[in-house]
Amino acid sequence: MKTGIFKRNEFYLLLVIVVFGAAITIVNPAFLTVENMFDLIRSSSGMAILAVGFFVVLLSGGIDLSFPAVAIVAQYITVNAIIALGIDNLWLAFAISSVIGIAFGAVNAFFISFFKIPTMIATLATMNIFHGLLLEFVGTKSINVGQLPHCFTNFGLTNLFTLARPDGSTYGLSVFFAVLVGVVLVTWVILRFTVMGRAIYAMGGNMEAVRRSGFNIRRTQFFIYCYVGLLASIMGIIHVSLIRYSNPTYIIDSDMMHVIAAVVLGGASILGGSGTLTGTILGVIMISLLEKNLVLLGLSSYWQQFFVGLILVLGISITHIQKRIQGRRSLALARE
Amino acid sequence: MNTKRSNNLTLFCIFIFVTALMSIFLPSHFMTGRNFASMGRQFPEYGLLSLANMLAMVTGGIDLSVVSIASLAGVISASFLAHYATLGMSTAAIILIGVVIALAVSLLCGLLNGLIIAYARVPAIIATLGTQGLFLGISIIITKGAGIGGFPPDFLFIGNGALFGVPMQFIIFIVVALLVGLVLTRTPQGFSMLMYGSSPLASRFSGINNERVIINTYMLSGLLAGVSSLIIISGVNSIRPGYGVDYLLLSVLIAVLGGTDVAGGFGSVLGVTLAIFIMQALQSGLNILGFSPFFKKFIWGFLLILVMIFHYYRRMYGQRRIIRKAAGLQL
Repeated sequence: MKTGIFKRNEFYLLLVIVVFGAAITIVNPAFLTVENMFDLIRSSSGMAILAVGFFVVLLSGGIDLSFPAVAIVAQYITVNAIIALGIDNLWLAFAISSVIGIAFGAVNAFFISFFKIPTMIATLATMNIFHGLLLEFVGTKSINVGQLPHCFTNFGLTNLFTLARPDGSTYGLSVFFAVLVGVVLVTWVILRFTVMGRAIYAMGGNMEAVRRSGFNIRRTQFFIYCYVGLLASIMGIIHVSLIRYSNPTYIIDSDMMHVIAAVVLGGASILGGSGTLTGTILGVIMISLLEKNLVLLGLSSYWQQFFVGLILVLGISITHIQKRIQGRRSLALARE
Repeated sequence: MNTKRSNNLTLFCIFIFVTALMSIFLPSHFMTGRNFASMGRQFPEYGLLSLANMLAMVTGGIDLSVVSIASLAGVISASFLAHYATLGMSTAAIILIGVVIALAVSLLCGLLNGLIIAYARVPAIIATLGTQGLFLGISIIITKGAGIGGFPPDFLFIGNGALFGVPMQFIIFIVVALLVGLVLTRTPQGFSMLMYGSSPLASRFSGINNERVIINTYMLSGLLAGVSSLIIISGVNSIRPGYGVDYLLLSVLIAVLGGTDVAGGFGSVLGVTLAIFIMQALQSGLNILGFSPFFKKFIWGFLLILVMIFHYYRRMYGQRRIIRKAAGLQL
């Protein structure tokens, strides 16, 4: 019964994506080319990774508002550390940034699990604590292409494979895609095949039931928030490699809304317990199509914020109304 | 009732403590009429947003769209007011229409929030997150991202004038806060809000129209954002979409600091007002001491965590006391 509804939800989302894609293609045939698709993947991989992290938190019935701050803090500290150490190595960068991300996740989990602070309030607070600390004690100066260590720029330009354009120049599928696929696979395996994954789903359903069935809630919470922190820190590295610029004052508020919109559109319930990774990925595709192609449809970029808001409001309203009708129908069936 | 009083007493003590601390460290700067006047000018814009969030929290919700509502109401009202020279109406009429526009827009925004939350049953946090983007998006479309400015000089009185030496916006805040207090404690609407916040099911079974209560709540919270927008645009004689983004966190923080139960069922205007005073005193003090706005951000976050931890221990202690009392009765 439940899977039926969600299959339908994802189906509709896919339908909207196809229709929207078709509309853009009619207006601008340049949209539906392999090159443009590769470009879209390259620029939205970071957002997709954040969305996967946010999805995991949402599943457990929590909300993490601190991930944009964690991403930017991990990114800026890592870039500075790599410059200071003089070791121009991407793996080291990932290591440093992951440690920071996981540590911040642990701080979130600490407040949430030990003091029972509602997740949204706790992460709203830590978001400001992390970002405030960064700007006060680490620095406020942005790092531009000239100062950026080569490992980042090279990472941003690495392709999995390349194709040739008619004129002989080449383009390719960014390595970011491999990172994203890795993240999705690992998350899928965790959610699907491990006890931890089951605990995450169950926590979103009924906390008391989880406690009584013997799951270790504290350990699960630490896992969830550290995992989100880790994904946010990976996104931080991808972000700086993509735009080749690290600005510590840039807190991605609108990006955060886009991520949340994507996950919720994908059918994950804000109350936890239900949703699929496929839905999340479809949600990300929908939002990034909207983000990057409104201009192609002849609307100025000022309309972007409006449309993302509109899609979010409409999407969630329809999902919730659908659920209500479904609930009533099953109630009526039960009566008969 | 008892916890309510003790909570406000705690807040009052914190306020005295912060003020005393600031006066000791900054004897020649803090305890001055000028500083107090400037504090009285600063807090009403976000103070009203804090009250708005408190009302939403009382019903177990939250209103993340307050800043965007203020932005949209301000932008629409400003685009009318900015043309005052060419309209050929009397200044009084123009100002009145400008005020009505801002309040009407904010009421409509609140109505939309309320409808989505009450009838589509979307959790408040996600509904208002969505409308936050929507309202901000509309104001960006209207202004094309730029600012609007240049209002009738008399209109600027709202955000710059003073009556008997008391800043105008301070007076507005006090009047509005009193009204909100009256609504919350002396009207059926306020009672229903508290009931609904404690238990939506119980309130439905006791014959309360839950949908009506929710819609009223979010319209009220929108209206407060509208009043705030008037203070904002007349204070700086212009508006730019995205003004006051930091106020969102601040308003949630102040509502929580003021003892509002985020799970619903309890909130006090006096508590929130005391929390506003604490934050403003702290902020002014830190400003005078020369701290960067970034450090302020850190302090806000840190304070929010501290308050939540404090609430946690008080709740634990309260529960233990109840259990002990119950055990004592049995003996």
